[in-house]
Amino acid sequence: MSHVFLLGSSVALFLLGALTSFALARNPRLCGWIAVVFVTVAAVPLCGVVGETFRTGGQPEVILLHLSSLGASWAIAVDPLSAFFLVIAVVVGVLSTVFSVDYMIRLEKDSVAKFYPVLLVFFSSIVGVLVTSDFLFFLVFWELMTLTSFLLVTFERESSTSQRAGRKYFIVTHAATLCMVAGALIVWQISGSFHFAAMRDALGTLLDTQPVSGHLVIFLFVLGFATKAGVLPMGDWLPDAHPVAPSGMSALLSGVLVKLGIYGLLRVFCSFVPVSASLQAWGVVVALAGVGSLFIGTLAALMQTDSKRLMAFHTIGQIGYVCLGLGVGLYCLADNPALAALGLMGALFHVANHACFKACLFLGAGSVLYRTGERDMNKLGGLGTSMPLTAASSTIASMSIAGVPPFNGFASKWLILATCLLVGMSAPLFLALAIVGLFISLVTLASFLKVLGAVFLGQADENSDVREVPWTMALPQVVLAALCILLGVFPQVFLWFAHAALAGVSQVGLPPIDLLLGGSWGLTLAVSGIQVGFWAPSAIVVALFLSGSLAYGIQRAAGARVRHVPVWTGGEEHAAGTVRYPASSFYLPFKEAFRGIYPTVRLRVPAFPASLRKALDLDRWLYMPLARTVEQAARGLGRTHLGIPQVYLLWIVVGAMVVMGILLLTV
Amino acid sequence: MSNGALSVLGLCAVNVLLALLLAPLYEGILRKLRAVIHSRQGPPLTQSYLDLLKLLGKEDLRTSPGALYAFAPALTLASVLVLATLVPMGTAPPLGFAGDIIVIVYVAAVSAVLAILTAFASQSPYAFVGGSREMMLLLAVEPVVVVTLIVGAVNAGTLATGDIVTWHTANGPTISMVVASVALFLALQAQAGKLPFDIPEADQEIMGGPLVELSGARLALLRWALWAKQLVFAFLLVEIFVPWPSTGTYYIDLTLALAKVLLVLILVAVVDAVNPRLRVEQAMRYYARVAFVSLSALAFAVIGM
Repeated sequence: MSHVFLLGSSVALFLLGALTSFALARNPRLCGWIAVVFVTVAAVPLCGVVGETFRTGGQPEVILLHLSSLGASWAIAVDPLSAFFLVIAVVVGVLSTVFSVDYMIRLEKDSVAKFYPVLLVFFSSIVGVLVTSDFLFFLVFWELMTLTSFLLVTFERESSTSQRAGRKYFIVTHAATLCMVAGALIVWQISGSFHFAAMRDALGTLLDTQPVSGHLVIFLFVLGFATKAGVLPMGDWLPDAHPVAPSGMSALLSGVLVKLGIYGLLRVFCSFVPVSASLQAWGVVVALAGVGSLFIGTLAALMQTDSKRLMAFHTIGQIGYVCLGLGVGLYCLADNPALAALGLMGALFHVANHACFKACLFLGAGSVLYRTGERDMNKLGGLGTSMPLTAASSTIASMSIAGVPPFNGFASKWLILATCLLVGMSAPLFLALAIVGLFISLVTLASFLKVLGAVFLGQADENSDVREVPWTMALPQVVLAALCILLGVFPQVFLWFAHAALAGVSQVGLPPIDLLLGGSWGLTLAVSGIQVGFWAPSAIVVALFLSGSLAYGIQRAAGARVRHVPVWTGGEEHAAGTVRYPASSFYLPFKEAFRGIYPTVRLRVPAFPASLRKALDLDRWLYMPLARTVEQAARGLGRTHLGIPQVYLLWIVVGAMVVMGILLLTV
Repeated sequence: MSNGALSVLGLCAVNVLLALLLAPLYEGILRKLRAVIHSRQGPPLTQSYLDLLKLLGKEDLRTSPGALYAFAPALTLASVLVLATLVPMGTAPPLGFAGDIIVIVYVAAVSAVLAILTAFASQSPYAFVGGSREMMLLLAVEPVVVVTLIVGAVNAGTLATGDIVTWHTANGPTISMVVASVALFLALQAQAGKLPFDIPEADQEIMGGPLVELSGARLALLRWALWAKQLVFAFLLVEIFVPWPSTGTYYIDLTLALAKVLLVLILVAVVDAVNPRLRVEQAMRYYARVAFVSLSALAFAVIGM
């Protein structure tokens, strides 16, 4: 079966699912299950396309529609890079939809008719974005994706914060899209076509003949995609939009939507910009932007007490790591393809890892919200015993995001930071960036220890009736947590796919993966034949297991008795949950040192001119006076109705006399 | 099984056993030394072993039914033992093929994380205060450790711990390595949890912080982990930054390293004995300055000195 047929059938299934779920929106649970079934079935042909793409190294391009007057054609091409992101979208998409079935029932104020159908259209637009190789149609799908995600973010219509955040998201991302349109138009003037290949050639000539406008085009594209990816300062929409969206959607925002910004950046830099000194400069720019947002984003996250807002800030931080890897890769692409490949692979691997652990964390925060109705971590505590599955998955995901070995976040951070250090030996700037990266990963750890300590550990409230979430909500979290462990312990498998994805798009031939990451035990970085970096998760896991057994053996050696006792609080008796260390108290002196790192800029909106407001106010000068006149007339008429039968009879007699008089006079 | 694999396993066992069995002895020596400085008689050298043995048999009082609270102390010790296999002791690290300096930094952080999670899982507000302080101290100290190890990496041109040691043995002391070794030594004080940086435990204020709700075997394991950690970090310091004299014979090198570790730990103990406890923000300010020292070492390394 051709890949176009498979893609078409999956998109058709998404749209059919959208219609069906819209028709059945009366019953939220049924509607949710319909969406799950359609998403899962539609994922099957997508997986087929992905498998075929990795097997053959890319599918031929097929043109579905040709607009010759514009020089645009709807071309469908699936290369390994698209396939890589399709896998992420499929996994996070299916799991988030399953999670939403029960979650959305809680939000009873708003009908699911504006959730599932929009969600399914959103999925189909993501597929469209990933497989289109013509910029005009790419932008069409991109815009569809932005609009649908806007509708999903602003799902809770009665919450003003959600509407405000949605408005911000709408304005910021559309400004970004506008940048991309402008950039595309500049290139189109030369190429006369929106096709990726034609745009690449045009950009190459533009960079040679008019470097200023060439770099302007790249800047506009970077601005556009980096905004979506959440790189600061343009990523400011992210901490507002994530917390207010329904939790399944927050997971999708962080797990998939933000990643598409990275996909765009990779496309621009790997296949648009020719490999040259200017690419090296852009590499430095991307790396600096990445480090800026990982530093500011993560430190800002440390200050948060709203669980979902905290995680949104961490998304900014983790995207910073991705950009650091991307930047260091681009920096080396011309001179040292081996290191470049390592940096880019690290970035791609971190994209996938971030999708796993951040989706898991958002679903965990959503589960806590579902059971307690609370996002404020100061008011939570001790949920670990009542929600064991959620607590365990969130703990694993927290360890992953903090880069604790042997979970997946460590493997990708290790690859990115090791590459930075190796590049830094000849370009010291990257040493500094790597040190910031290492420090910030510790801040991430601090931040997630706070989450675990404040939400899941500590003392529970007395008589709290919090239970574990239903299995439909627990299962996606458990699956994602398992993925975090699998990707962490067997990174080689996944890095093979990342390498294939990059080899498909890179203009420079990348060294084969065996030369880059050889070693039978795990990952061994080799630069020009010398092994310089090592990470073998399997060996470490075995060592940890053996020494853990030894330590536990020592613990139980004497077979001492275990007795459960209440917490000692200085001899005074307190009700459970009243003596608690709130989230805002963690790390106070440290937070004090970095206060104001994320300033909130309040833009003063210019006042609407009063005269214009008066002129536009139809109520004031048309409707209200009219209504008043009618009312007065009616009241005047009303006075004639006195309610006395004799008076009415009198009116009738008088009326009859008048009519007869008129008749007599006219005849 | 091949010879190579056997020697790796053997060396792993040696490193683990060294960290496990010698850590209480070194701590005993330090306690004796502190007592002497304080003009006290002090406990016998074997006192730490006796403490551990006694604690292992004591009743285990638990304030929380959670699995994390039950297993995390054992995992803390386990992570320190894994760290021991990644650190050179007399020869190249046995699991050097499995982890470079970045892995060392992160595995070291894991042991701290597990200790903090144990504290949080115990539900005691004192433990929360202690855990929060421990994390802040880690945030202050870890950059110093990171930068000093990177100084070695930049000098040797590799991230592999064993190769850095080989390079330093062959190429003699350089300005950058000397400055970095001073910075790492200053960081050791906090890594070992000694005064003036025993802020997380702070017995007089928060009654042992993370340890307040631990008893019996699990308290023994956490204590043991802390002692083993100070030994392993001392090994890291002397092997990477003071690798001479190196004979190439494993037993002699190991003995020399043990002697150097003792010297370093004695210095740590002297500092511990004559200093009062700092507040956590003072400690962070102090380590921020030390971090600048280590950055100057890095600057020297970058220009090749």
